[in-house]
Formats: sequence, structure tokens, C-alpha cells
Amino acid sequence: MTALNLTAVVWGVTGALFFFGLAIVTLRRQLLAMLLGLELMLAAVNVSLVHHAGIFNDAEALAVVALVIAVAAAEAVVGLSLILRMRRGGRGADAALLTELQG
Amino acid sequence: MTAAQVPLAAWLLFAAPVAALLFGFFVMRRFKPEWTHLPILASCLVVTGAAFWLAADVYTGHSFDLNLFRWAGAGAFGVDFGLRIDGPGVAVLAMVAFVGSLIHLYAAGYMKGDAGFARFFLVFHLFYLAMIGLLTSNNYVQLYLFWELVGVCSYLLVGFWYKKESARKAALKAFMVNRIGDFGLLLAVLLITLQFKVTHFHLAYLKVVSGAPLDLLPLIGVCLVWAACAKSAQFPLYFWLPDAMEGPTPTSALMHAATMVTAGVFLLVRSWPLIAAVPGLPHAIAWIGAFTALFAAIVAGTKKDLKRILAYSTVSHLGLMMLALGLDQVGAAIFHLIVHGFFKAALFLCAGNIAHGLHQSTANVDDVGGLQKSMRLTYLSFGLAALSLAGIFPMGGFFSKDAILDAAWHHGGAMAVMAMLVAAGSAFYIFRMLFLTFYGARPGQKCPSDIHEAEPILGIPVLFLALGAAAAGLLKGPIERFVVIGFRGLPGGLPELQSVVLNLPGEPLLPALNPVVAGLGTLMALLGALAAWRVTMSDPGFDWRWRGGFAEAMFESDFGWKTAMGRCASAVSWTARFVGRVLDKRGLDGLIEGTNGFARAAGAAVARSAQGRVNDYLWWMGIGTAVLLGRVLR
Amino acid sequence: MSMPLTLLWTLPLLGAVVCAFMGKRAKYAALAFSAAFLGAALAITWVARSTAALAVVTELGPVWAYGISYRLSADSLSLGLIALTALLNLICVASSWKLDVSAGYWACFMALASALTGVFLARDLFFFYVFWEATLIPMFFIIGLWGSSNRMHAALKFFLFTFSGSVFMLLALLALVSAHHRVTGVWTWDLALLDSTTLGAAAPLVFWGLVLGFAVKIPMVPLHTWLPDAHTEAPAAGSVMLAGIMLKMGVYGLLRIALPLFPVLSWEALPILGGLAALSTIYGAFCAMAQTDLKRMIAYSSIAHLGFCLLGVLSRTSQGLVGGSLQLLNHGLTTGALFLMVGFIYERAHKRGLADFGDLASRAPYLAFFFGFSTLASIGLPGLNGFVGEFMSLSGALAALPVLAFLGLVGVTLAAAYALPAFQAVFWAPEGPGSVSAKVTDLDFRERGVLWTLSALMLWIGLAPNAWLAWLEPSLRGLVR
Repeated sequence: MTALNLTAVVWGVTGALFFFGLAIVTLRRQLLAMLLGLELMLAAVNVSLVHHAGIFNDAEALAVVALVIAVAAAEAVVGLSLILRMRRGGRGADAALLTELQG
Repeated sequence: MTAAQVPLAAWLLFAAPVAALLFGFFVMRRFKPEWTHLPILASCLVVTGAAFWLAADVYTGHSFDLNLFRWAGAGAFGVDFGLRIDGPGVAVLAMVAFVGSLIHLYAAGYMKGDAGFARFFLVFHLFYLAMIGLLTSNNYVQLYLFWELVGVCSYLLVGFWYKKESARKAALKAFMVNRIGDFGLLLAVLLITLQFKVTHFHLAYLKVVSGAPLDLLPLIGVCLVWAACAKSAQFPLYFWLPDAMEGPTPTSALMHAATMVTAGVFLLVRSWPLIAAVPGLPHAIAWIGAFTALFAAIVAGTKKDLKRILAYSTVSHLGLMMLALGLDQVGAAIFHLIVHGFFKAALFLCAGNIAHGLHQSTANVDDVGGLQKSMRLTYLSFGLAALSLAGIFPMGGFFSKDAILDAAWHHGGAMAVMAMLVAAGSAFYIFRMLFLTFYGARPGQKCPSDIHEAEPILGIPVLFLALGAAAAGLLKGPIERFVVIGFRGLPGGLPELQSVVLNLPGEPLLPALNPVVAGLGTLMALLGALAAWRVTMSDPGFDWRWRGGFAEAMFESDFGWKTAMGRCASAVSWTARFVGRVLDKRGLDGLIEGTNGFARAAGAAVARSAQGRVNDYLWWMGIGTAVLLGRVLR
Repeated sequence: MSMPLTLLWTLPLLGAVVCAFMGKRAKYAALAFSAAFLGAALAITWVARSTAALAVVTELGPVWAYGISYRLSADSLSLGLIALTALLNLICVASSWKLDVSAGYWACFMALASALTGVFLARDLFFFYVFWEATLIPMFFIIGLWGSSNRMHAALKFFLFTFSGSVFMLLALLALVSAHHRVTGVWTWDLALLDSTTLGAAAPLVFWGLVLGFAVKIPMVPLHTWLPDAHTEAPAAGSVMLAGIMLKMGVYGLLRIALPLFPVLSWEALPILGGLAALSTIYGAFCAMAQTDLKRMIAYSSIAHLGFCLLGVLSRTSQGLVGGSLQLLNHGLTTGALFLMVGFIYERAHKRGLADFGDLASRAPYLAFFFGFSTLASIGLPGLNGFVGEFMSLSGALAALPVLAFLGLVGVTLAAAYALPAFQAVFWAPEGPGSVSAKVTDLDFRERGVLWTLSALMLWIGLAPNAWLAWLEPSLRGLVR
């Protein structure tokens, strides 16, 4: 496949995955699912970044990819611990129960 | 003429009462209230002396009109205060001073023992001072100042026994009706300022007499007449006067017989050149006067309270004065004003003596009867004054009433008839009062036998006043001369007026005795007396009281006028309550308070977008980021 | 002569700071500083009366960013109002002597006096605005902390309402300054230099913005509804300052800023503004008639009286302007006296409804005398101060627009219809059930002294006003058409 075609495919796939992840985050109520959706968004962005680093021979983009992977891992840890906290506190892991910001 | 040349008497006219008032308020009232009348009686003596001195001065041709100080000025606008001692003013001043002093003396005896003795004398003397100021003012603003002050003193005195509800209501009614009249006077003063640029009487006269076109003059004239009608109790604004009888008798005698109510007539006398220049206005005044005189005379014949009969009689005689003025007879009006002061005050004080003897504040014809034997002095005084009022020769009232009847006769038409009917009516009501009070008992009367004559301090002033009323015919010549000086003379003082001989509109001369008119007048008076006799005395069993029903309702409410005025007053209160409670509190204020609720509702609406749901926030974040990115990437 | 005017507004401010730290003894400091302030105001007035231009100008410091400069000046109008502020401040301190209040009370009054003085002195519009708004803060606390039962609501309403009006004024001032900059390239807030011709087509908007800000303060119907609540709930001394001086700020603003900057526009607006002034007179009178609370009735009567001032001032004749300005001082005296006395009654009986009293004339004759005297002064009895102002204002209005004078006269007539029945109900009528008249003892020496001072001034101005009028006239000459 030509480079252009591949780019288009990558845009298509990663874009779809990104919006899929966004949809999961905004539409689902279970916190774990929202976390998975977040990870999906980050992964999609990563894949796109890697491809474009290859296209443009840009090493800084690969550095960003590493950064994003680290951030995603850290954020997954934090998120999972928060979810565990909620479950241990007696409340379910449900976004609808987090209403302290109401009003 | 400078301020230094003003005679001492003119300064004393003001200095004595002011000194007496200050001394009485700060010293006497605090330490020895029952002696408050002493400095005040002394001041009355000084004022009377000063007034007669000034009268003598003017009689020999030394009248003056002088500005003393600038009261208020700004830019081109300026109002000066000063003194005007001229013929008409000093004639009325002499009467007011003399009659007022006698009434002060009477009050010292009448009000003895009253808890508010000091307060009474202080307000009474303040009124005296205000009246003096009114009569010696030389410009409209100063006159208005004293005019209102007189009104306030009237309020305080009518409401003197304020614990009685009728007194409070009467005081308020008197003040409010006078205020409505003052509306007219203040409007007139403002218009005069606009039209003439000065408020000074004489400068205004000169402008009017010079024939310059003055387009505001009709409005000014109407406003002045309106003010005079309120103060001098003419129809339609007379109804405060009968109720003002709630005040103590000295108040009724001084204010509502001799002085305050004549202020309206005096205003018209002072403004006569302006009013005479408005076509049709004098004629209107004559009609108002004639109508009021007849109306009040009829109503007076139906009343039972002694003071109220006299009150309506005052209204009637004021109508006669207005009639005289309206027929351009300034001299006749002033003459009647002065004679009326004497006999009306005497009559009021006699009524006061009777009430005092009964230990009441006022007396009804029901409470008396047959007092001829027990109160001889009062009977004598009353009789003299009654003859004077009815216009029987040779009493003073004959001459003054004759002058007015003469003018009406020569005018002819309905006015002549009305004037003659008034003469008959006056005699009717006063003789009815005389017969019912002093002669034999009629059905329903109590005829108290234990009543005795009043003390000398109450009796002597009344006698003097009655003798004055009887002898007032002798004053005809001097009063004529005063009025001639005022309207045809040479006033000193004002630089603009030096060597200007006046020829103001208005007839100052009193008519010579016309046998036809005199005879007719006397005949009508005798007819009235006869009618009174027929109604009260001739038939022992005839019940002189009006029986109930329509006639009584009509007479009680003055043929419906009082109810009409009552309705007007309630309409005003209703409007006030509507504006204050509905329009303001619920309407305007409700609108403002409603912003509170509006803000809360708006806030609640906006708060619905912040429910705390994480998903919503994520949506907003997503949309926002997309928009920003779109902008940035473009 | 560059210090005195600054001293005039900093002296009470210093007093406020001192009072705040004095705790229980604060009232002595307040008394001392009030007396000193009155002395300073009278001294400067006395000196300035013989100065040719009757203006004592202070200009301090460089021009800061955007042309803001510290500029004070005092002509007879300003000095008259400052002297009134000082007098009423001292009277407020004297009449609150027996109250059990914290140091903050005294500090608030001193701060209020300072801010009011600043309003009357400032000639730089920025400082004018700052002082204008600064008066709201102490007044808010006075009403909100030491007022009657519904005080918080009233304080909040007062603050928000007047503040909203002032916001329009601020916008107008900003527009004026920036238009001036756009046309001349110079930033300045100096009142003497600004010129409304730079505004072009935006002039009416700016004029009405200014008028709106002032109209809320005056208050003009229909923007008056904050006044009855604020007066009713404020403590007696607070009402005295509010009615005595703060209401004058609105008319002062018109005289100092709106009328000089917009001579033609303000004349063309006469039918509307004059009509609203006449409406205030009559509307205020009718509302006052319907009230059952003494303080509320006097509050509405203030609205009516300031309608007269406004009629006179808007007429742009010399007698209207000078008479209207004198009426500002007169109204401060008479309404101050009335609110003081209502305060004395409330202090004793803790009630102020018309039906709660009766027969007070026999129990408290001095109170009856002073109350009657002040009532008569306020309804315009000639010989007392109210008449002079009303007469000259109506005379001016008659020359400008006769129908307004006629309506004003109706207002004069109606004045007696609310004042006298109220007087009668409280002092003359017999006591009804639930009457608290027994608690109202007569005035003591301190209270009588305060009222004698005010009454003497009322009589003096009423009988010989020319000295006062001649003193005020030069500062208003420029506004005459």
C-alpha cells in the first residue's frame, strides 16, 4: 500500500477507536468502563502518533508517545485506586452517584 | 423716608407682642404658668396705644409705606419686607387691637383654672401678632406669611381642648379648608411675581392703573377671590367655620368674628385695584357675597347651638362685606367690617358668659331660657349688640348695613331683593336667639334658675364691646376719612411714590342717608323680628323646634353641602390609601422585590446544567475541545 | 491653602479608625472628632465666605494613569452641604449617646461623614465616584447591624438598588472620559475640562445614564422604593444621616455634573424630569397619607420635599436654583429633627406606629412642641425654613413650565393632609388599647439641646433667609439660563 493510503487507514482506524473510546467515556455509567474508554482513546492517539513519526521522521513524536504511555499507566493506577476506594466505601462504581459538584 | 423716621409706635406694634411671647414662653410658662397672661395683657395695652397713635398719625395725613429689609433674593428675583401704615390698614388695625385687648382680658377670666392656660395665652397672643403683621404688610409675600401663621394659630386654638374628638376634627377641617384657600393665594402670589416682577402692593397698583396689558391678571384675580372665600368663609368653602366653634369662646370671638375671617375681606381690599381691573370679577364677588349672606342667614335661623347660630351669622355678614366690595363700595365694606367686629365679639362673649354660667363649654337653646332676670348685664349687652346686628337705628349696625343696602338698592335687580331679605333674615335669627335665650320658657328648655351673672372680668369687656357696637355709628366719619386717604391720598415712604396722588379704583365714600333705603331696611328688620316673635313667643304651646325628617336632615347638613364636602374628603383618603398601599406597596415595590424571585429563578434554571454528573461534564469538555481545536487549526 | 480641604475629609476618617480601636470608650472619641470636624467645617466656611471667588482649590500630586488626579474644590454649595453633614453628624453622635452599641457603630458614622465630605469636595470624577460608592458601605452596616427587625432585607435592598443606579453613572462617566480622549487625545477625569460635545450622538445615553444614577439617590418616583424600607429599618441616627445628607447627594450630583455638562439636553428633558419631580411631590404626599408607621410617613414626605428641590433646580432660573439648593439644607434640618424625635420615641417605647400612641402632648410637652414645630416647618409654614425653599422653587418652576408649578402647589396643599393627622393621632388623640404612651417620658437636657439648635436654625433661615441665599448664589450663577 502507498504511504498515503496507509495514512488514511491509520487516520480512519485510530479516529474510529478514539471516538469509540470517547463514546464509551461519555455514555457509560460504570467507572471501570469509563476508564477503559479513556485508555482506548490514549492508545488510539499513540498509534496515530507512531505512524506519523514514521512518516515525518520525527523523533520528538516518539518521545511524546513514550510520555503518553507513562501518563496512561499512571492515570490507570490512580483511576483504579479511586474506583476501589468507592467500592470499599459502600457505594457502587457508578458515575451517577458522584454528585458532589451539583448546583 | 428712612427706617429711622418710622414712628416708635410702629416698632412697638411688633416689639411688645414678641417680647411678651418670649417672656411668657421662656419664663412664665416654666415657672408660673398662671401668670402668663400678665405680660401679654401689658403687651395688648401697648399695642392698642400704638395702634391708636398710628391711626391719629394717618388721620392727620402721615401714612407711609416703607421697605425695611430684603427677605429673600437671588439674581433678578427679590422680595422685600416692610411696613405699610395707611388708611384702611390702620382703621382695621385699631379695631383689631382694641377688640383684641378686651377679648384678652375676658380670656384671662374665662380660661382661669384650665390646665392649658399658659399655652392658650401664648398661642392667642401669637395670633394677635400675626393679625397685626397681616394688616401692616406692604407686599403679598409678607401678607401670605402672616396669613398662614394666622391659619396655624387657628388650628392650635380650635383644637385647644384636643382631648375631644370633635375639637380635633374641627381643627383639622379648619386648617385643611384654609390650606385649600392658601393654594389659591400662593398661586396668586407666584403669578404676581411672574407678572409684575415685584410683590409690593403699591408698585402693583401703579402697574395696573397705568393701563399696561397684563394677561395673567384674570387668573390672579380669581385665585385671590378663591383664597378670600376660604378664609372669610364664603360659599363654597364656608363649612369649616361652624365646626370651628369647638374652640374656647375667646377664640371664637377674636378669630372667627372680629379678625381672622376678615383677613379675606382685607386681602380683597388690598388687592382691589387688581380685581377691579378684571372685567366681571367684582360682579362675581358680589353674587358670591349675596348668595352666601342669604344662605347663611337662613341656616342660622335653624340652628340650636348658640355659638353655631353666631357662626352662621358671621358667614352671613362676611357675605354682606363681599357684596359691598363687589359693588365697588370699599368704604362700606371696611365700615361694616369694623362695626361687625364689635357687635359679633360682644355676642360671642355673651354666649361664652352663658356657657360659663352653666359650667359647660358651649350652650344650646335647650339649656337656657328666661335668663333675662338672672343675667342682667349679659342681657343688656346682648340686646345692644343684637339691635346693632339687626340694623336698628341708632345703633352702629344701622349705619354700616344701610351703606350696603344702599349700594345694593342702587344696583337693583335680584341683588337688591336678596340684600333686603338678608336684612330680614338677620333680624329673624338674632331675635329668635334673643327671645329663646332671655325671655320666657319655651317647651323643651331647661330654664336654669341657679345661673348667676358672670364676674366683672367677664362682664365688663362684653359691656364695652356692646357699647362700642351701639356707638359705632359715630365712627362713620373717621373711617370714611381713613379709606379716602388710602384710596385717594398721598402715601409717604416709597421713593417711587413721592408726590403721586392716588386715584385707585373703588368708592371710598360712604353714601348719605337715603330715607327710602333706610326705611325699607328698618322695615325688613322689624318684619324679621316679628317673625321671630311669632315663631318663638306668641303662642305658648307652639313647638319652635324643627321636627325630624327631611327638614332636619337638610338643615343639619346645610342643604346637603356638608355631606358633599365629606364625600370629597373621603375620596381623597381613598386615593391616598390606593396609592400608598396598592400602587406603591404591591405595584412598584412588588416589582422591585420581584427581581429577587426573578434572580433566584434564573439562577435555578442555569444551575440545572450543573447537576454534578460526570458524564455531562465530559460531554462539555469534549465539545469545548472540539470547538477550540477547530478554531486553532483553521 | 492646600491642606484644609484634605483635612476636612480625612479628619472624620481618622476618627473612624480611632473609634474602631477604642472599644467601649469609642463614643468619646466619636464626640471629639465630630466636634472637631464641625469646627473645621465652620471655620473653612467662614474663611471662604470672604474669598472673592468663593472657591478654595486644592490640587495635589501628579496626574495618574488615564488622567485621574486628586482634585478638591469647595464653593458655597459644597461648604453648605459639608457644614450640614458635620452638624448632623455631631447631632447623631449626641443623640446615640445612651445606646448600647459596639465601637463599630461610631466608626461607621465617622466613615460615612468622611465619604460624604469627599463627595461634596471632589472635582475629579473618578474620586467623585469612589467617594459616592464609599458612602454605601458604612450605611449598609449601620442599617444591617443596628437596625430594626427587618434590617438585613432593608440594608440589602438599599445597597443593591442604589448600587445598580450608580453603575449606570459609572458607565456614563467612562463613556464621557473615553469620548473626550478619542476626540482630543487627552485622558482626563477633571470635571472642569470634560465637555459633552465630544460625545456626539451618544450624548443622550450618557446624560440619561447620569440622571439614572442620581435619580435613584434623590429619590425620584418611580425609583424610590428603597427609601421607605431603608428609613424604617435604620436606627434613628442612621435615618437622620440618610435623609439629612445622603439624599442630597443626588441633587448635588445633578447640580455639579449633569446640568453643567449637558445644558441643552437637560433643558429639553425638562418636561420629563420636571414631570417626574412634580409626580414625586404628589405621589409622595399620597403615599405618606396612607402610612401607619411614623418613620415610613416621614420617609415618603422626604420624597415629596425633594420633588420641590428638583422642580426648582431643573427650572434653571436663579430663584429656582438658589431656592432649591437652600431647600436641600432646610430639608436636612427639618427631616433630621423629625427622625431624631421618632428615634427618641422609639428608644423609649420600642414602637413607632401611629396607633401605638396617643395623648403624648400631656405626657411629653417638650416633645410635642418640637414635633409640632418641625412638622410645621416641613409642611412649609412661612416664617420657618421650609417655606423659603418651596416658594422660590415654585417661583422658578412657574417661570420655566407653569403646569409643573401648579402640580407642585397641589403637593404643598397635600402636605398638611398627612402631617397634621399624624401629629394629632400621636399627640392629641386619646390613648387606644395597647398604647405605649406611658413609656414615653419627656426629653432630657441633651435631647432638648439638640432640638433647640435645629429649631433655632429653622427659625433663622425662615425669617432672614437672604444672608444664606446670597451666600449660595455665586456657586449657582453659572447654571442660570
